[in-house]
Amino acid sequence: MINNSSYLLNRRSFLHGTGVALALPWFETFAAGSPSSEETPKRFVSIYHPDGVGLPLKSDPAWKDWSWFPRGGENDFELTKVLDVLEPLRNDITIYSGLSHPAARTVHGHSNADQYLTGAATGGHGPYRNSISLDQVYAKQAGEFTRHSSLVLSTNGGVGGPRGAQTQSFNQEGRPIPAMNKPKQIFDLLFVTSSKDAAARLARSKSALDLLIANTRSLGRQLSKHDQETLKQYLDSVRDTEVKLEKAQKWLDTPVPSVDARNLHLDAEPREARLYFQTMYELIYLAFLSDSTRVATFQLGRENGEGPHDLLSMAVGLGGAHGLTHAVKKPKGWENLGTYNRYQAEEFGRFVQRLKDTPEPTGKGNLLDNTLAMHGSASSSFHLSRNYPIISAGGKNLGFTNGRYLKFGKGNEDNQAGAGIVSDAGWRGKIEAEELPLAQLFVTILRRLGVETDTFGGYTGTLSRV
Amino acid sequence: MKTLEIIIILVISSASTILGADAHQTPITLDKAKELGRMKSRFLNVTDTGVPATRSVPEANVTYFRDFVGPSLKKSCIACHGPEKSEGRLRVDQLNPDLLAGADVERWREVYNVLSNSEMPPEDEPSYALADADRGDIVDWLSGELNKASVMRRNKQEHSSFRRLTKYEYNYALQDLLGLPCTFANKLPPETASEDGFKNSSELLQMSAMQFETYREIGLKALKRATVSGERPKPVTYIISMQEELDRAASGKAAKTFDQNDGNYSQNRNRQHLFDRETGKGIQFSSGKSIPQPEAAAGQTPAVSPVVLVLPRSNELKLNLDRFLPDEGIMRVRIRAGRSTMNANEYASLRLIFSAHTSNNANFSQVISERDIPITASADDPQFIHFDIPLGDIQRNPFRKLTTTFPRRDEFLHIHNVSNAGSRGTPLQVLIDYIEISAPFYEQWPPKTHTDIFVESDDKSDEDIYGREVLTRFLKHVWRRPVTSQEVDQFMALYENYRPGFSTFEDAMLEVLATALATPEFLYLIQRVDANSAEAHSTISDLELASRLSIFLWSSIPDDELLELAEQGLLREPEILTAQVKRMLADPNSKRFSQTFVEQWLGLDGLDSVAHVTDSSLREAMQEEPIAFFDEVLRHNRSIMDFIHSDYAMVNERLAAHYQIPRVYGPHFRNVPIEPKTNRGGLLTGAGILTMNSDGKDSHPLKRGVWMLERILNDPPPPPPPNVPEVDLTDPEILKMTLKERIADHRNKPACISCHSRIDPWGIAFENYDALGAYRTQIQNQPVDATSQLFNKQTLAGMDGLKRYLLTDRQDQLSRAMVHKMTAYALGRPLSFSDRADIDILTTQFRKTDDRLGDLVLLIISSNIFNSK
Repeated sequence: MINNSSYLLNRRSFLHGTGVALALPWFETFAAGSPSSEETPKRFVSIYHPDGVGLPLKSDPAWKDWSWFPRGGENDFELTKVLDVLEPLRNDITIYSGLSHPAARTVHGHSNADQYLTGAATGGHGPYRNSISLDQVYAKQAGEFTRHSSLVLSTNGGVGGPRGAQTQSFNQEGRPIPAMNKPKQIFDLLFVTSSKDAAARLARSKSALDLLIANTRSLGRQLSKHDQETLKQYLDSVRDTEVKLEKAQKWLDTPVPSVDARNLHLDAEPREARLYFQTMYELIYLAFLSDSTRVATFQLGRENGEGPHDLLSMAVGLGGAHGLTHAVKKPKGWENLGTYNRYQAEEFGRFVQRLKDTPEPTGKGNLLDNTLAMHGSASSSFHLSRNYPIISAGGKNLGFTNGRYLKFGKGNEDNQAGAGIVSDAGWRGKIEAEELPLAQLFVTILRRLGVETDTFGGYTGTLSRV
Repeated sequence: MKTLEIIIILVISSASTILGADAHQTPITLDKAKELGRMKSRFLNVTDTGVPATRSVPEANVTYFRDFVGPSLKKSCIACHGPEKSEGRLRVDQLNPDLLAGADVERWREVYNVLSNSEMPPEDEPSYALADADRGDIVDWLSGELNKASVMRRNKQEHSSFRRLTKYEYNYALQDLLGLPCTFANKLPPETASEDGFKNSSELLQMSAMQFETYREIGLKALKRATVSGERPKPVTYIISMQEELDRAASGKAAKTFDQNDGNYSQNRNRQHLFDRETGKGIQFSSGKSIPQPEAAAGQTPAVSPVVLVLPRSNELKLNLDRFLPDEGIMRVRIRAGRSTMNANEYASLRLIFSAHTSNNANFSQVISERDIPITASADDPQFIHFDIPLGDIQRNPFRKLTTTFPRRDEFLHIHNVSNAGSRGTPLQVLIDYIEISAPFYEQWPPKTHTDIFVESDDKSDEDIYGREVLTRFLKHVWRRPVTSQEVDQFMALYENYRPGFSTFEDAMLEVLATALATPEFLYLIQRVDANSAEAHSTISDLELASRLSIFLWSSIPDDELLELAEQGLLREPEILTAQVKRMLADPNSKRFSQTFVEQWLGLDGLDSVAHVTDSSLREAMQEEPIAFFDEVLRHNRSIMDFIHSDYAMVNERLAAHYQIPRVYGPHFRNVPIEPKTNRGGLLTGAGILTMNSDGKDSHPLKRGVWMLERILNDPPPPPPPNVPEVDLTDPEILKMTLKERIADHRNKPACISCHSRIDPWGIAFENYDALGAYRTQIQNQPVDATSQLFNKQTLAGMDGLKRYLLTDRQDQLSRAMVHKMTAYALGRPLSFSDRADIDILTTQFRKTDDRLGDLVLLIISSNIFNSK
């Protein structure tokens, strides 16, 4: 057993050192009354960016500097100008190639943000159906220990539309979970006392359960022994629900972590792109640090989007984000797209560095060691739903070995399949290269996060070498 | 496999072989087979009042062990697994050869596995080698004994009919309770099917906290949909008059009008267009745009206009409705339409599709009408049809409320003509002159669903009295019984607790009613123990009978009439019960019985797991056929021997085309007399059943055989042992073989033969039907070989031979299987040994009614077993 007082002392004193004053309630340590709640949290965050990355042909002069994928082998890889901002974190990241979701490989990239974390056959037209996303599979387990089972964010907010998702998270039934996009709202959700409504709802539920228990007991007395056993399962379900309510009540009674918001820019809007970006990342960081949640997703923009997404790219002096992918054959086209991706990588790197610089409150390494942070898109080249450009960072204590460039599949070692295309004939064309199901990486991730599973989205097995 | 049952069958069938021996040259007709087979019934030939004992409780075959198995084991195994050495801590000399009573089933299973896989005795121990024949004997004996042991274990358990409602029953119950035909239960997890294939089987219907919470959530949501508050909302109404559309289109700059006297009119007329039937002028037209008209009132009947939209087969009018449809409520779409020609063989119907463009290169669309509505009026006298679409249930454009214009905010309604119109001559087209779209639509205000809960009352002003009134009424329906005032008190107390938190009586009461919808008496089928008689199998009460009846035939809760009769204690009066069953079967809700029972009995969801049916209308027809067939036999009270063979088929146009039955028009199923040359008739040759028991490329005799045994003969084969050797398709010798040869090769392995010899012959008899159930006489230019020999040496010559054999020699088994399956479904629990006598009595009664399906329903309902706890 960890000695609570010293543990808290450590936690508090170190929190002061982070630049944000954060006072944690003692309740955190008892969260679910379960031993695992005192273990070091395992966290997962996924960042999604639409529109893919630059993938010029080798013969193109821009290839050397502005091809997104690194050159070289597993350990001796060399980052191009797109990702060189991550060079200082080289030993904390892994870059993947040759992965994609098979069901969407022949679907236009514009439709595919929906399935990045689900792997479902969401298709390009007609009736639409999705399935649970990676983060939510983990949230079902990790959510037991925290106030919020997950934090779902995007720049555009809401759910978007079928094949035009503005959220990366989908629930058990495959329905989109609305994303939050206003820093102030997110902050309030995390760190400002919750509403009276929730308390009233809880109280009502409790009275209803009391009635149901009394009602079930009196019914039970009129049943045979055998049937009473069956009814007991109902009664147990009501009791389990009661326990859940009690837990919810405890969270209501527990003051939210108090955070000094003075250093945060809660009014930041996508227009002030860097500030907005950093604020959103900072909120994820604070949510993790305070153990308010262990699961987060954040989607930048939307596929084929105008709006906030463009504001981000305009903020670095470029045109509309989606337009960049269409204009790669224009003068400086590859450089512009690469510059935009570089900027995304830079902000991701800043967030990763922040996690790395923060010691884990339980003393087990730093926050990054216990967090797997993923960054990626569901297309590589122009509208091409293959060879997803994926970076993962951290997770050392979860079993991830970083500092590597992992190539999967066959026949596309230099990432030239589908490179240099700017027309729809390109992504519709026949591609011989073999890729592996991204779902297998998801299975690896889930297992390392402690979810006992062999499958995800219908695919079985983990990814070797990861 | 030498269970007693098989022995009995062997005895009977060998008798039949003698009987049928002289008919060997010219096979008897299937009708004759029905007659002949009936004469052989043991159920019909019982002389005393006793009932023939079928499938008596299995007994261990220890004699065979003593005489054959034991000595072989001793010779080959005991040196290493005996008193001298006991490798793997196994001593075969100490295993109890009675697998049913003994405790060594698991050890025996290991022995079975290593012997059947030829892993033991070790190859390098030639002195202990086991001859193939001996190995076969041991494996056969063990497989039989293991199977009996598992049947025994399963059947020993007592099962109760006390269970929760299935997902679909819960959904129907909510629909009937609230009078709302919505899909409520989607969020609930799917049910697991029992070994009989039934999803209403008590031992599998679990409950969890997650599920309980979902019930609470669904209940409150459903109640909120059934009720309203405040003033009647003003609907938005779109009016699309084809006259106005024509005026607008014709005034366009690039308008290309045409005239019916033009030379190329025959081309234009077959495209979608607007047409003035008086002037003969027309203009191409495929999509319109409409915005709501603030002053328009819905429900108008303007004078019929000569200007119509001409909608040819498979065409659609795409209407842009912009972004003004409300979030919730019913959208009523009224369309006045007529047919251009009245040829009875052609039909045309309308379907609604809803869509939006979520970005360029991405859109979604969804059929929103529950069924296509046929257009039957003539164009000279067009009539209104209407669709009611719940806007809250369909996929909407989530961007419709944006203040910016990208992504697009508009929503589209497509009116699609589904038709079988030919392309030659004067084709049938749908002519529409007026469309009206209005939402939210209410027949009346407040709607009936609201006043059914919040009833009109003089005491409305007194919340306490009125609250009790509302609750008493509601609880009675929810619990399917009268309620006591103490029970109402409980809920009133909750109401009083809630009331201060809400601004209106109704809002607070809805939360209380939602709690009632989460009570076990709503979610479960209750059977109370009599205070005075605590016996296990006493009779259920009249009210419990009412619920059991309605769940059986309606998959839902009883209506007022049933409840009233039960309350008065009249429901069990034989004439009243018979009349009620008749009434219930005449009610449209009884379609649920045909559908759910047949789907589960025959395992029709197997069609969902094959991907080789690409034509969706064929797939739908395949799925529907067995249900329509059952429904036909049920409603005309025909013999269930029709399931094996009938001289009619239940088909619609699509399926008839698949079966090459000519002159069937339209999407509805109907009874069509058929010739023997169609090679159809009965359930076994149904395309859906043949298709789902295929592997995607070709027929799958094994699946078909297993399906026959499980579903039709109720004689499921034992599950395959672990580590069955796969058929090695890389072996060139095997690749050369025909499917039948391959199966024979596999079967001849000692590990496989005991089960396969029982399964394969049945399936091979289906070989004249391909992966889509189409009839064939050749496979890859080789004639189809569909002749097989059953384990009892009975030859089955293809489907005809199979049918003839079943009808001649297996009628008792078929009848009993039907009784067994339907009783298990009616009771919602697996049957066990102790139910055997009841099933036998029912089978005798059933056979005496000439195996008539309608009579079976009544027999089951009147039986002891149905009326017992």
